Amino acid sequence: MSVSGLRKGGVTLTALGLIGLVVIYWLSFFWVSTEIRQGIVQRIFYVHVPAAWTTGLAFGIAALTSAMYLWLRDERLDRAAVSAAEGGMVFGAIMLTTGPLWGKIAWGTYWTWEPRLTLTLLLWFIFLGYFMVRSATDNPEKGKRFAAVVAIVGALDIPFIHLSVIWFRSLHPAPVVIKPEGPSLPGDMLTLLLASFAVFTVLFFGLFLLRYALETVRVELDARAREVAA
Amino acid sequence: MSYLRQVQAIVWKDLLLEFRTKERLVAMGAFAVLSAVLFNYAVDRTAVRPQDIAAGLIWMTIVFGGLLGVGRTFHLEAQDGAFEGILMSPAPKDAVFLGKTLANFILLYVVSLLVVAVFMLFFGLELGASPAVLALVLCLGVLGFVSLGTLFAAVSSGTRMGETLLPILVFPLLVPMVIFGTGATGRLLASRPVAEVVGDIRMLGAFAVMALAAGALLFRFVVED
Amino acid sequence: MAAPDTAPPTLATEDVVLDAQGLVREYGPVVAVAGIDLTLGPGEFLTVFGPNGAGKSSLLGLLAGSMRPTLGRVSVRGQQLDFGDVSWRRRIGVLSHRGFLYHDLTVTENLRFFGRLFELTDLDRRIPERLAHVGLSDRAGFKVGQLSHGMKQRLALARALLHDPDLVLLDEPFTGLDPSAAAVLRKVLVGLKDGQRTVVMVTHNLGEGLALATRVAIQARGRFVWQGGRDEIDTDSFERFYHEAVEGRR
Repeated sequence: MSVSGLRKGGVTLTALGLIGLVVIYWLSFFWVSTEIRQGIVQRIFYVHVPAAWTTGLAFGIAALTSAMYLWLRDERLDRAAVSAAEGGMVFGAIMLTTGPLWGKIAWGTYWTWEPRLTLTLLLWFIFLGYFMVRSATDNPEKGKRFAAVVAIVGALDIPFIHLSVIWFRSLHPAPVVIKPEGPSLPGDMLTLLLASFAVFTVLFFGLFLLRYALETVRVELDARAREVAA
Repeated sequence: MSYLRQVQAIVWKDLLLEFRTKERLVAMGAFAVLSAVLFNYAVDRTAVRPQDIAAGLIWMTIVFGGLLGVGRTFHLEAQDGAFEGILMSPAPKDAVFLGKTLANFILLYVVSLLVVAVFMLFFGLELGASPAVLALVLCLGVLGFVSLGTLFAAVSSGTRMGETLLPILVFPLLVPMVIFGTGATGRLLASRPVAEVVGDIRMLGAFAVMALAAGALLFRFVVED
Repeated sequence: MAAPDTAPPTLATEDVVLDAQGLVREYGPVVAVAGIDLTLGPGEFLTVFGPNGAGKSSLLGLLAGSMRPTLGRVSVRGQQLDFGDVSWRRRIGVLSHRGFLYHDLTVTENLRFFGRLFELTDLDRRIPERLAHVGLSDRAGFKVGQLSHGMKQRLALARALLHDPDLVLLDEPFTGLDPSAAAVLRKVLVGLKDGQRTVVMVTHNLGEGLALATRVAIQARGRFVWQGGRDEIDTDSFERFYHEAVEGRR
């Protein structure tokens, strides 16, 4: 796809995502019913949970495209990996700030070693390492390979981190959407939650395409600078 | 067969070099003893019983001391470009990784036994009822640790930041090892029945296998030029 | 090995030791090697001259298979350099200005280690033989750190040739050697021209390079700007010729 096509797609999806976000905010403030036990603070749920989902999705894409990059050595796969990883950093930061805000009121403490919160924190640091190795090599191609290795080992480690932090036990509410007996969330809450999942996903892919287009332009600029220098 | 001989050649070479220079072993050993001394003053022993926190301190000492040694895995190699010589030999890259990891494992396993001994001595701890199981826990934990440590030592020594980068890369990945390792060690030191730590040992074993396989598979992408 | 009937009619496969086509190597935005073709037969000794930054070391890295080409391919005795099956590495020996040696191991231990990596089985016989060849028999038990620079370089050569490679690659082997050590090294290198092996040496030392070469190439900006036989070169005017070639006036 051409850069302008990517940019057009990115702008469209991002705009859709942002409009959707406004709608989600409006609905979560004025429409959805208040959860009885936690009260008004539970409404942060419609940001926190989809942000967590998007973080996982982004880092999943980053790890997958990293593995494919090492295999096929196609620059586009590396560009996709770095774009997804950057999205993951942003949505991870959202998840990690809304979590403690909610936790302070719901549990009376900012930070608990709750498994999914801990997992996201560690993921966030694994991908911080991803960006650090990437920029710390003289040969950019080497940086890409190193970063891909970090992403892949991170992905392989996730099941272990997940099991180990669960083993460490938690205060967190159990999953409310996907479980064998069907969702336990009241209808309007479930509707809004699923809508916010969709909106965050659209927003992520919009930002992803924009970032991908930016990386492509940067590579072209490098090539042109090289031609001028030669 | 020739694969194993190549792995063995690298292990032999690394241990012989370590035996000659004693750089890493002395550094890690001294680190272990000195950490125990510092912990003695950092922890109020009238408020906390040493046996309650010993497992955690032991594993933190192994992790920090281990990074000290593992981080230098590729220093002697770089001295006269010798590692390039290894890379240009027909030895497969995974054999090179396994050789270096195994040599690191032997060194760090010795250090980890020393760490436990030092803590027994300084804090008057008992070894618990099943020292052999404790040795197995240490063995599996250390194996997982050196696998990731060796892979990422190769990564970090290929960057401008060098060893500074190593803890940032491996600490998030080591969380499972620390959780299962300290869990099992704490219960074994308290002489709890072995049945209580079987789950931890399984997880440590699985973690070690994952780390070793990942390293053997990915090392080639780190060292190629 | 290719069957005889599939060999190209003009050049029998067994007459080509090194064949490189369209080699390009980029480091991000920097192009170190910008398209080099090279074919060498047994007994040939190619010296590549060039200024710093001409991409000589990268070229050697590509021929040694220690670097992946961005484009192009290299084969040695008909076997293409591929990064999955690395048995072709047995055909290549590399000597650089760095020794690839462990200074805390002895002379014999170093050779034994690399010999085992190359899967050699007759090391007990081979190592003393090779040490005698480079005049280091009386230093077998010394640590490499105790050797003089010249001895180290001769040991490095013995290491590079231990597995009897078909293709020998030399990267600035004379760097830092005093005249007498250089003379000893030159004698050993002359011994490489036995009609079996092919040698590629990169250097900016014009005198040493011409003394050994049967073919000469001048590399600048990642390309061969001139190449030809040793007999096409007039030794006395070569320096001027070289500068003109590098500056693009030829």
